[in-house]
Amino acid sequence: MGTSIYSVKQVNTYIKHMFTQDVLLSGIYIKGEVSNCKYHTSGHIYFSLKDESGGIACVMFAGQRKGLAFSMKNGDKVVVGGSVNVYERDGKYQLYAKEITLEGAGLLYERFLALKQELEDMGMFSAEYKQPIPRYIKKLGVVTAPTGAAIQDIRNIAYRRNPYLQIILYPALVQGEGAKSSIVQGIQMLERVGVDTIIVGRGGGSIEDLWAFNEESVARAIFECSIPIISAVGHETDTTIADFAADLRAPTPSAAAELAVDDYRSITDHFFEAGRRMERKMWEQVQVSRYRLDNLQTKIGYLSPENRIREKQQYLVDAGERMRQLMEHRVITNRHMFDVYIERLKGLSPLHKLNQGFSYVEGKDGKAVRRIEQVTKADMLLIHVSDGCIEAEVNCTKPLERRDKFDG
Amino acid sequence: MDEKNTQEELTLAESFAQLDEIVQKLENEELSLEDSFTVYQQGMKLLKHCNSKIDTVEKKMMQLNENGELSEF
Repeated sequence: MGTSIYSVKQVNTYIKHMFTQDVLLSGIYIKGEVSNCKYHTSGHIYFSLKDESGGIACVMFAGQRKGLAFSMKNGDKVVVGGSVNVYERDGKYQLYAKEITLEGAGLLYERFLALKQELEDMGMFSAEYKQPIPRYIKKLGVVTAPTGAAIQDIRNIAYRRNPYLQIILYPALVQGEGAKSSIVQGIQMLERVGVDTIIVGRGGGSIEDLWAFNEESVARAIFECSIPIISAVGHETDTTIADFAADLRAPTPSAAAELAVDDYRSITDHFFEAGRRMERKMWEQVQVSRYRLDNLQTKIGYLSPENRIREKQQYLVDAGERMRQLMEHRVITNRHMFDVYIERLKGLSPLHKLNQGFSYVEGKDGKAVRRIEQVTKADMLLIHVSDGCIEAEVNCTKPLERRDKFDG
Repeated sequence: MDEKNTQEELTLAESFAQLDEIVQKLENEELSLEDSFTVYQQGMKLLKHCNSKIDTVEKKMMQLNENGELSEF
């Protein structure tokens, strides 16, 4: 291989390939001081990073400009993230920058991570210490700046959800010198005054602006507060130590108000509904019981001795009536038969015959005269007729001439 | 256990939970009429208690100074 001869292109390509393959170089953060900084009209930025030992050429293409949030100038101490690769035209390597931050911010971030770790190790962020946020509150404490959007957002949303809420603001310094002690005092004062929930926060800002919420004393005050605290610092993407220490983290002040204040109407609706459900159920229960009572009453009435006596009485009355009817029927039938007998007897009665013009003749011996031989001339006879008797004397007797004689 | 005393001490959140529990009990459990009445009365008492705890007076937002004094914001 030593004797081979290569073109420039081949060597540059080979070296570029080596750089590209390298894991460290393809994603690296380099700190240094900015020099030779040029903002090109194309949008690209050309500069060098240097330290006491030397320098490295850097370029940030226009497409990566969102990775730079400040106006960079010579002398800035920065941390540049990107990849180191070869610029083949010049045969030079350079840093292709993707993000550039001021070194101070990087330090803050390191401090943030270190404190976060420390407090976490102390258990300050443990779920077991989180206090539940009350559902219905009367007094809401707020620690934030009296000016600015945060307090207005909280006020608007809280009052919209519950117009009867008492909000107590502790107007705090939320950035700069004195901010952390002001926030700590706000939490402690509101705890002393006594509120149901406290919102601690502020609107969005740079990491330096939000820094007070990354201070240990603030985290400690939040942790030690006996009242539930909702943190609401900056925007959704900003996370501070205070957020970890709080009982609940809200992404924004508005969201914190939503979380802290329950909708008044939903509460009263809930009560109304609960009352209605209990009343309906109770009414049902009473109806069912009443129905069962009616049923039992009917049953018991049916089985009562009184009713049974009444039943027997009724039976007796019915039986008596039936007997009376049968008896009456009997009597009528017998009377009818009696009449029939009377009629028949009438037919046989001698008196009846007398009434019809027949008469009965009694001889001197008192017996009925039926044959002529029973009498002789001059015998006295009694002839019974319907209304009395006639004394008569026998004159003579004449036998009856009959073809068919009874005897002889 | 004196019921009235314990009810006085209930926080509103606890009252809410208990109210829901009572409604559930009344609706879902087989209770005798007497027990239903007892539970119903408890529920109504609790409801009254909850309602009384709900404030209906509109208030101004206040601010607290470092001396612990309140003033209108």
